[in-house]
Amino acid sequence: MFSYNKKLQYPVNIKKKDLRMAKYLVTQYGGPNGELGAALRYLNQRYTMPDNKGKALLTDIGTEELAHIEIISTMIYQLMKDATMEELREAGLDSHYAEHSRALYPTDANGIPFNVSYFATTGDPLADIAEDMAAEQKARAIYENLIDLTNDPDVIGPLLWLRQREIVHFNWFKELFEYYQKMLSGGSNKIMKSENDSNALKYMMYDV
Amino acid sequence: MYNYIFNDNFRKNAVNNNLYNNMVYDTNKSSLFAPAEAYNNGNLYSNLYSQYKNYKPVELKANNEREQLLLDLSRMRFTAHELNLYLDLNPDDESMLALFNDYRREANALMSQYEAKYGPLNLSSNSLDNSPFSWVSDVWPWEGRYYV
Repeated sequence: MFSYNKKLQYPVNIKKKDLRMAKYLVTQYGGPNGELGAALRYLNQRYTMPDNKGKALLTDIGTEELAHIEIISTMIYQLMKDATMEELREAGLDSHYAEHSRALYPTDANGIPFNVSYFATTGDPLADIAEDMAAEQKARAIYENLIDLTNDPDVIGPLLWLRQREIVHFNWFKELFEYYQKMLSGGSNKIMKSENDSNALKYMMYDV
Repeated sequence: MYNYIFNDNFRKNAVNNNLYNNMVYDTNKSSLFAPAEAYNNGNLYSNLYSQYKNYKPVELKANNEREQLLLDLSRMRFTAHELNLYLDLNPDDESMLALFNDYRREANALMSQYEAKYGPLNLSSNSLDNSPFSWVSDVWPWEGRYYV
């Protein structure tokens, strides 16, 4: 189960409205490489990992991504707070207002709503972890694009921090990928037997 | 069957051509940032740290006692979390486990201290003994007050 902590993982305190930036930033909420997709992808993939290391890592990174959804949502909320109708219109957010008023809504930067195909889960641990490595690199690239689009230090700070998290997560997914690659090619039966797990046994049978 | 696609040469080339080839997993204590710097950076592992252009991370500072306590808590919690991710893949590393437990205990102590003074951070807090039910009071994290 999950329980809520009433604090952000990294502080956000944006003092200047910036409707255009809110419009771009929303892609890291509901876009293909956003935090909502990342959280749900990892938490969805963890059930079919072949051993406990993968289950633990996907659970813990997936849970951290839930905290990143909150950071991004907070940034969007603060960037849009107290916007006038004129400002919303100028930034092209009048269509957002028509559908959602001032509520947050997960879309990409072009307004395309969140889509469950972003879960990208095959049930094959190597394919799934490779997907996660790519997802972290793509999110890093998007954070860099977003940093290029603003000069507000209150916005840049959290974006730099979130970008760095993508780099750390990529590293652990890469380590898990290489470990599974060895394990699933029959190089290390010892590891699989110790896990006593039906998925692990399935893959062991594949490769022997 | 998997080795056919992901052979070692493929992997080495991919890593060598990667601009971010500092993403290696050489983890030892000497390469760890101290908690305050780790939290500023969003990265505990100095060998994984990768700066974007000439941007430096924000040096987070507290404006009052409440923010200071929250900042210290966030630093300890973050450092413990970074070690948690490492331990997921390396559960037999006793020295990193000892370090994780140091930061975990420190974070828990700071959390109790914060909650006793300023109210609950989660619903298992002993500060909820007091009436009225203080979970609903005060500002919520996205409202931007009390944050460094």
